[in-house]
Amino acid sequence: MASSPVDIVIFAPLAPILGVLLFWFIQLLFIESQKYLLSKIWEKHKPLCRFTNFLGVLFQTICHALGYTVTRSGISQFEITVDYGKVSPKKEKGGAFEWLSNSFLLFGPFFIPPLLLLICLYFLVGGLEFSVPDIIKLQEDLYFSFAGQMNVFGHNLFNFSEKFFDFLLNIDFLHPAHLGFILLIIFLGMGIRPSYIGKEKQEKVNMIYDLKNIKNHILQKPLYIILLFLFTYLIFYLFFGLEQRWFHIPFSIFGWLSIIAIISLLITQAIILLIKITDEIPNPWKFLPYLNIPISYILMRTFFLYYFIDFAKKGSLLIMILSTVLVIILLLKYKTNKFKTKTDMKKLKKVEDGADESGRPVRK
Amino acid sequence: MNQEDLLENERVEKILSPHPLSFMRLQSLCIFLIVWGVLIGWLVNFSEYKDFFNNEWYVILVWGLVLMLVGVIASLVTIRWSIFFFYLGVFAGGVGLLLWQNWQDNIGVFIPFYTVAFSIIGFLIVELYRRSHKYIISNLRVIFKGGVVTKRERTLRYDKITDIDAKQGILGQIFGFGTIIPISQSGFGLGSDKSFAAGGVSLGEKKVKFLGLFGGGKDVQTPRARSYYELHGVHPYKEVKKIVENLVQGSVITPYQQEQVAYQKEQVDIQKQMRDLLKKQAELKEENEQENMDEEEN
Repeated sequence: MASSPVDIVIFAPLAPILGVLLFWFIQLLFIESQKYLLSKIWEKHKPLCRFTNFLGVLFQTICHALGYTVTRSGISQFEITVDYGKVSPKKEKGGAFEWLSNSFLLFGPFFIPPLLLLICLYFLVGGLEFSVPDIIKLQEDLYFSFAGQMNVFGHNLFNFSEKFFDFLLNIDFLHPAHLGFILLIIFLGMGIRPSYIGKEKQEKVNMIYDLKNIKNHILQKPLYIILLFLFTYLIFYLFFGLEQRWFHIPFSIFGWLSIIAIISLLITQAIILLIKITDEIPNPWKFLPYLNIPISYILMRTFFLYYFIDFAKKGSLLIMILSTVLVIILLLKYKTNKFKTKTDMKKLKKVEDGADESGRPVRK
Repeated sequence: MNQEDLLENERVEKILSPHPLSFMRLQSLCIFLIVWGVLIGWLVNFSEYKDFFNNEWYVILVWGLVLMLVGVIASLVTIRWSIFFFYLGVFAGGVGLLLWQNWQDNIGVFIPFYTVAFSIIGFLIVELYRRSHKYIISNLRVIFKGGVVTKRERTLRYDKITDIDAKQGILGQIFGFGTIIPISQSGFGLGSDKSFAAGGVSLGEKKVKFLGLFGGGKDVQTPRARSYYELHGVHPYKEVKKIVENLVQGSVITPYQQEQVAYQKEQVDIQKQMRDLLKKQAELKEENEQENMDEEEN
């Protein structure tokens, strides 16, 4: 089936761009939910929130500095604190150079941390490669069509996700490199965001703020965006002319980066959620879920060492997660007023001094 | 602080000690030992490279080499050779114990356990050292107390403080602690950073040789003191800094106050001159009256 000329000239180059935009937007949503969760624990965990702020600011500042380095503007001042970062160029360059360095500042924090994780994954997982599906290989024209580009983009994302999830499910916490990777995912996941949540909780720096910044950046110099699009189209036509199937590669990398960022944000959010929930449990019981994580994992791994099964790592991970959830539910039920029936609550209300007959704390 | 240690009209504003994370430089030496201990244990016992470590001397060699290498790098970066000697001590102690007890056959267990145990002891020593610090801020002075075995004490009156150097690292900014160095008029609280560059040149063949050495040094004064003589890693940093600055400010005469004092001095001088003039006038009057009386009598 031959692709129509309109499809090749107009729509085909657009397909991977739209794919990247979609994943980037999903990433933005996850960032927003992370910021929401962080703002919920701000009061009780200021150091943690400040730390995440610092990571965000650090990546932002590094990206800005990278922008000045790439545009050969030089760096005269580089300053990072927990609340803000400042980078000043040696030479003030205007036009495209300024636009490019600002692009690094705005888009860099989304992609630089996952890029570091991708480099680690390359060494840990191996076999990360770009491929074209067989169906597209058989029909030569199909690659240079909208559907073909979408298919190749999706295929590469699927292949990568399959390997990435397989690695995550079979992760071995007793392997230093794997443990280091998961710590790095958490560490970088806390910093994948273009703006910090603010010194004070009230400060409104949300997704709209980020999008507004990006919109202003684009509208400030629309010509550069048009030129960028034209350049992308030209590259596509060049590959079409030379019959080379490499056009999807840079977009696939961006897609991979978004997937890594989303997973990293998900893991980070699970940890923030754990912190938020355990805050409701009284001391010293609140530490039980945290203790349960390593203890249950090591116990299961030891158990599977003697009763070997094929999915020992997966099983240990699953039991670790499930037992932690179970411990949290039990603690919430027996140590707080969560999951209480109405009659129980009434009974608790009768007690005035902050604890019921069995010594459980009462929420007033 | 005991009540009898206080001076007359002295009131304690705050009693402080360093934040648990303020000695991270020392703690990081122990953290490295834990990480390296776990890593060497995994390498020797579980990794795909475990066959390489069948010979116990390879384990000792790799373990010691990494310890020495990190020790040298850390010493060069921080310009403190004590770090290198600390790691050298860990290595020498480990090898000594291993040979003494003939535990070569269990080296895969001994080395990781020894390294982690040493780091735990290190942590305890750092904690003991941290807890030995106590800073008392009163309305008259700052008292720095400390010492694990030898007890030290420094007292600094606010009017003797000329400068305040305050610093807060990233950990400090996250956890809200920082270091405040009060610099006294005598220069206590100042250290110096020295850098020296030298180059050598050798000319000539076998018989005639010329050797030259040239170099230069630079010395920069910088606020620095031992943790016993500064408010090291105090929490909450901003509040403590404000208290100290207010107390220092309260003990210093401001330009307006200086002007007032000069003006009052001038007033006193004028009053003194007037008193002298009045005295002289009275004396003259008395003399005149005496003269008049003498004349009348005559």
